[in-house]
Amino acid sequence: MTPSTPLVVIGSGPAGLGATIEAARAGLPCTLIDEATHLGGQIYRTPSAGLRVTDTAALGKDFAKGERLRAGFAAAGGRVEVLSGTSALGVWDGREILWASENASGLIRAERLVIAAGAYDRPVPFPGWTLPGVMTAGGVQAFVKGNLVRPGRRALVAGTGPLLAGVANRLRGAGAEVAAVLEAGPPWWPPEPLPAVWHGWEFMADALDHWQALTAAGVPFISNHTVFSAHGTEQVERASYGPVRPDDWTPIHGEARTAGVDLVVVGFGFVPNTELTTLAGCRHRYAPELGGWIPERVPFFETTVPGVFAAGDGAGIVGAAAAEAEGRVVGVTVAEAAGAIAASEADRRREAPLARLRFLSEAWRELDARYRVRGGLTDLATPDTLVCRCEEVTRGEVGAAVGGGARDLQAVKLLTRLGMGPCQGRNCAPFAATHLCQVTGRSPADVGRINPRPPVKPVTLGVLARAEGIGDTSATDPLDAVGGGAS
Amino acid sequence: MNRSPDVVVVGGGVIGCAVAYYAAKRGLRVTLVDRPQRGRATSASAGGLWPLGESVGLGCGVIFYKAMAGLGSLPDGVHGPGQLPKVFLDFAVRSNAMFPDLAEALRETGGLDVEFERTSLLFLMYDEGDVAFAKPLWEHCPCGRDLTEWLTPEELARAEPAVTREVRGALRFHGDDQVNPYRLAEAFRTSARSLGATVVTHTEVTGLRVESGRVTAVETATGAIPCGLVVNAAGAWAPEIGRMAGVEIPVRPVRGQILGTEALPDVLSACLSTTDCYLAQKQHGEVIIGSTTEEVGYETGVTPAAMKALAAGAVRAVPFLKDVRVKRVWSGLRPGTPDELPILGPVEGLDGYLNACGHFRTGILNAPLTGLLVSEMIAGATPSFPAELFLLSRFSGAIRRADNR
Repeated sequence: MTPSTPLVVIGSGPAGLGATIEAARAGLPCTLIDEATHLGGQIYRTPSAGLRVTDTAALGKDFAKGERLRAGFAAAGGRVEVLSGTSALGVWDGREILWASENASGLIRAERLVIAAGAYDRPVPFPGWTLPGVMTAGGVQAFVKGNLVRPGRRALVAGTGPLLAGVANRLRGAGAEVAAVLEAGPPWWPPEPLPAVWHGWEFMADALDHWQALTAAGVPFISNHTVFSAHGTEQVERASYGPVRPDDWTPIHGEARTAGVDLVVVGFGFVPNTELTTLAGCRHRYAPELGGWIPERVPFFETTVPGVFAAGDGAGIVGAAAAEAEGRVVGVTVAEAAGAIAASEADRRREAPLARLRFLSEAWRELDARYRVRGGLTDLATPDTLVCRCEEVTRGEVGAAVGGGARDLQAVKLLTRLGMGPCQGRNCAPFAATHLCQVTGRSPADVGRINPRPPVKPVTLGVLARAEGIGDTSATDPLDAVGGGAS
Repeated sequence: MNRSPDVVVVGGGVIGCAVAYYAAKRGLRVTLVDRPQRGRATSASAGGLWPLGESVGLGCGVIFYKAMAGLGSLPDGVHGPGQLPKVFLDFAVRSNAMFPDLAEALRETGGLDVEFERTSLLFLMYDEGDVAFAKPLWEHCPCGRDLTEWLTPEELARAEPAVTREVRGALRFHGDDQVNPYRLAEAFRTSARSLGATVVTHTEVTGLRVESGRVTAVETATGAIPCGLVVNAAGAWAPEIGRMAGVEIPVRPVRGQILGTEALPDVLSACLSTTDCYLAQKQHGEVIIGSTTEEVGYETGVTPAAMKALAAGAVRAVPFLKDVRVKRVWSGLRPGTPDELPILGPVEGLDGYLNACGHFRTGILNAPLTGLLVSEMIAGATPSFPAELFLLSRFSGAIRRADNR
């Protein structure tokens, strides 16, 4: 028999924790699934077990915020079953979740499901991007937060958006020299007045702190510039960078310069992680202002599949604060739907996070308008540049497939194996889709997506073979009855 | 000036691509019309070329038999997986024999390696029931004794060190091979193109124009393509195309779920067939583990129960696989027919129309001979293989005659 539970929350980042806290506070028993061994997700990552930290203030503001959220979780009550170190491999009929940890797997049925799967760094292929020593902004954050060591000696930080300031400053804090910060878009703090809504926005206040620390340390900041390529035999030894056209960020290769660095950090924003909402059968739409494909949602963040909610960056990039607020709204709404609290009480509990969301979404819109990635970046990749790292498909091969008549991602996949590897297209689909749109003039909806297939996270055959909650169809071997009947 | 009739092939799976290739090779003017389709059987094939194994009920057959027996839903009088008639074996053996030369020709014409490999197929015998099933196959195999080999557990351990030792032995079928199914379809398509065929992708066929009992054009979402002849190679969707010309085709979708592992170093030299699953290691290094046999209409998903069952079957056969990661699980819709034989050739009362469909579990294996045979029918040449037993008319009463105007 497949065990059933009133609520399953997938993901323990700000959105998942927010939902769990509110549901638990309302008295609803729930099961929280997360890949990591700690709660808090990527943003509120804690140092690995075994590292003893004497000065927690040195871990930064994100750590402190994570600790506050974790404390809120601890105070919310004990009716939460936490499956840590556990991945969701797939979702069936919006209700059944196949999960796997290192040693076990199983199927659980949820009366209601919250998917808070977060986001991943937007991959932008450029020559040398697969060399050791090229890291994503998110990867650097996770590395430094989890291991408390510096990932390189001298770094070039490139990408877009004031979040880069935090990454660069964290690198400095870890003891690395930052050669320069390259922003493909406009300056972060230009002389003209900033949008009024940014005043009082903690995210920007934090970014400004980091920026001031960088400026004080003499780290050069260059706007409308980005990294062009990384070079080295075994790992990064130097990087080439230069200006991009301010309108569409097309690299101006003729003006390239070189810097001697052993670390290149790239942060071009994030892509919502929609594998599970897709497998759950939720309808998706393309929303460039929110990072790409996202599940469609009605007020209070229910998807098109009744009883399945999506919150946080996995449902559209909104940042940690908004993710937590969305999660809280969802947690209250689920508790209300389950009859754990009355409608009037639910309305009251939703008020504060909804008000916060109205403010945050306006602030975020202004940020997105300035720092959303532009199409010219696809010109960074040369014909030899790997686009699909798993199956080693180059930009040239993608171009040949498109030239040969492929009009959508699925066709490119069948022709080149792009997206057929373990990452299921996370690293290649954004580039390939943009490229297809540029060449064919078709819309993102027309070029489509790479369909995720279970398992969306790695699992071994041995663990899958022992899955709990799935009945065995036949215990006896029917060929025993054959008795030489075939001839 | 080429005076051959224009042929439109509907369907871009392995069969449609094979027909387009052989027709183009004969100098015919060919257009292949294809639409993107989830659940295409070619994309969910393991690429096993097992004329002997398939004809005696191994591969998917024995797994399906076990599942049915486990559910207690076997028809009365059925003992053991079904064997297919001699004509199937003859057809499949002939088709399989074409692969070595074909692989060479496709490499030369289309520049693609279809990864044809001589592997043999091993049926692993876990218990007395398996032995009792396999013994008569060995003694009276319709393929002849020289193509089968009985391996003791010791001989099996030497031949395939990765395979479990918990076996009574194995029956080997020499002459059963494998290929990369996607590359085969792609190589047919690419080669057809370089031989002059036109490939129209992402185009839905919306109708067949029938005038005076003859198909005269294929109507598509982007306009009509006049032609002298249409070939229905639409796989599980063949009934849809047939109906456009008033032809009822008894093909139904039969779902197969399949599991692929991460790439591994060479661990298996033969393909394996057990009562739980079959396994084939491809040149890329991944092991493909199949497959279910399910009648769920055009549903193309996968199920946790099948994932678990295939995983358990694979670990039982090759124990070290327990620590190997699953890369993905997907499914395809086999074009199933009532007697498990393909439907090839003309239809009475309708000119300018040929079937090349209903290949069920063996479309990859039977693609070369199907392509050759159908191209001969198109050209009006003497067929390389007698096609009478594969005509649609064998299903009496299944045909609604085309409207003769």
